[in-house]
Amino acid sequence: MPIEIATLFAWMLLIVFLALIACMFEDLESDTGSQSNPNSQVQLAAQVGQINRFFNKAISGEAPAYAMYCTIAGVIAFVLLSKGAHPLLALPIGAVAGEVVHVIFSVTAHLGRTSAMKRFEQPIYLDVLYGHLIPIATHGFMAVLCIICIAYIQSNIGTLSGNPGLDHPFALPMLAFIWGITVGAIGSSTGDIHYGTEREFQDRPFGEGKRVVYHGKITRYADCGIRTQKDIVSFCAKYGGPCTGMTFGMIILFENWRTLVGMKVSGYLPELQATAGDMTAIIGIVVGLVIGIVLIAGNVVIVNWARKRYGPFVGE
Amino acid sequence: MEPILLIIVVCVVLGGVLASLGVHLLPVGGAPAAMGTATGVATGTVMLMLGAAMCGLFTASSVAAFSDNILLVSLSGAIGAWLMMGVTMLVANVVYVFGAGVVPVAGRVEVDPITRQLQTPYKTPQCDGHGVPNVCYISGMAGALLGGFGGAFMYFALLNYAHFEATAAGVIAMGIFVANAIIAAYNIGGTIEGFHDPKFKRLPKALITCFVISLFCGVFVVMAATLGGLI
Repeated sequence: MPIEIATLFAWMLLIVFLALIACMFEDLESDTGSQSNPNSQVQLAAQVGQINRFFNKAISGEAPAYAMYCTIAGVIAFVLLSKGAHPLLALPIGAVAGEVVHVIFSVTAHLGRTSAMKRFEQPIYLDVLYGHLIPIATHGFMAVLCIICIAYIQSNIGTLSGNPGLDHPFALPMLAFIWGITVGAIGSSTGDIHYGTEREFQDRPFGEGKRVVYHGKITRYADCGIRTQKDIVSFCAKYGGPCTGMTFGMIILFENWRTLVGMKVSGYLPELQATAGDMTAIIGIVVGLVIGIVLIAGNVVIVNWARKRYGPFVGE
Repeated sequence: MEPILLIIVVCVVLGGVLASLGVHLLPVGGAPAAMGTATGVATGTVMLMLGAAMCGLFTASSVAAFSDNILLVSLSGAIGAWLMMGVTMLVANVVYVFGAGVVPVAGRVEVDPITRQLQTPYKTPQCDGHGVPNVCYISGMAGALLGGFGGAFMYFALLNYAHFEATAAGVIAMGIFVANAIIAAYNIGGTIEGFHDPKFKRLPKALITCFVISLFCGVFVVMAATLGGLI
C-alpha cells in the first residue's frame, strides 16, 4: 500500500509539537519538585544554616527518573493496547500509572532527604510536602503523556499513514524509555540553568556565575514571602521551561524530518522501495551534517555576541 | 569458531571503546555548571552521553529497517547524537547568555585553543568558567559523533549478526553503552571541559578498562547468539 506522504509529515509535525510540550513540562516539573543539579543547593542550604521551605525531591538525575516514569507508563499502555483498548484510554491510564510511581518516589525522596537534615534542625514542613504533590503530579503527567503519545505515534506511524512497514522497529515501551532519557537529559542541561543560576540565587547580581561562596545560601525570602517551589516554577515557566521545550522540539524535528526528507527524495516513499534504502540514509546523513554545521556557526555567533555586548567582567 | 561470532565481539568492543572516548570529549559541568560555577553542560556525564546516544540509537534503528550497510546505519546514529548535542548545547548557551547574563568561557585554559579568544577576562571571579565556549562546543559535538557511532555500531551487530530482535538489540546495546559510559565518568571524576582539559590525559586508562568490559560483554552476546538468540 502506498504511504500517504502528507499524512506522514502531518504525524511527524504532531510529534514535534508534543515533544515541545513534553520537555517544557519536564523542566517545569523538575523545578516544581527541585530535582537534579540545582537541588544540590537545596540540600546544601540546610547544612550551612539556611533553613528553608523548598521541596527536596532529587529522586535521581532527571534522565533515569523520566526513563522510569515513561517506561512504566509505556508498558501499561502497551499492555492495554495489546488487549484491545483504544489509545485514547490506554495512553492516559498508562501516564497515570507512571505518575502514581512518581508521586510515591517524590514523597519518599523528600521525607528521606529532609529527615537526614535533622541534625541541622531543618524541619519537614508537612504543608510543603502536601502542597507540592499535585503540581509535581500534574506537570509530570503532562510530560509523560506527551512522551508516550510520541512513542505510540512513532511505533505506529506507518499504520497511521497507510503502510505498517514504516512503523518504527522498537516497541512502544522502548521508545518511551529512549525519549524519557532524552527529555531528562535535555531538561537537566538547559532549563536547570535558569533555575539554578538565576532563580535559586535571585538576590545575587544578574550577569555573573554564582561563586562558590554563595553556594547553599539560596534565596529564601522573596516577593511572595517565604519562598517555596511554587514561586520558582512560575518564574521558570517564563524562560527556562519554553527554552527546554524548544530544544526537544527542534531535536525531534531535525531527527524525523531529515529521515523523511531522505525517504521522499530517494524515492523510498510512497511504495517503500527497498533499493532506495541506502540513498535514503545518505541523504539523511548529509542533511544532518549541514544542520550540525549551522548549529556550530550559531554557537560561534552567540558567544561572540555575548563577548562583545557584555564585555570583560567588571568588579571583584 | 565462526568468523561472524568474532565480528560480533569486535563490533561490541569497538562500540564500547568509542563510547568511552566520546564521553571524555563531552563538556560536562555537572552540578556546579547548573549554578554557573563551572564550564560545560549542566548535567551528569552519563545522563548527557546516554541522552545523545539514545537519539542516535533511535535514528539508527529507523535506518536499519531499510538499509543493510553497517557504515550508513552507524553514521546515521552518529549524526543523530551530534544533532542532539548541538541543539542542547546551543540552547544551554542561550539560557546562560540571556537567562543568566554570563559570557560562555572556559575555566581550564586562558585562551580558547580553537578560536584563540581570551577567556580569563570574561570569567566571573571565584568561578571555574561558565557556559559552553566554542572549544567545548566542538569537543562536545565530536564526542557525541563518536558515542553515537559506537552505540549504533553495536546495535547493528546485535541486530544483523547476532540476530536479536530489534527492541532486545536496542536494550542490550544501550546497556553495554551505559557500562562503558559509567567507567569513563568515573575516570574523569564527574566533570570535564573537553579535549583541552588536563583530565583528558587520563583517557588511556579508561580505554583499556572499557576494552576489557566490552570484551566480556561481547563474549556474553556471542553466548546468547549461539544459544539461540534473544527473542
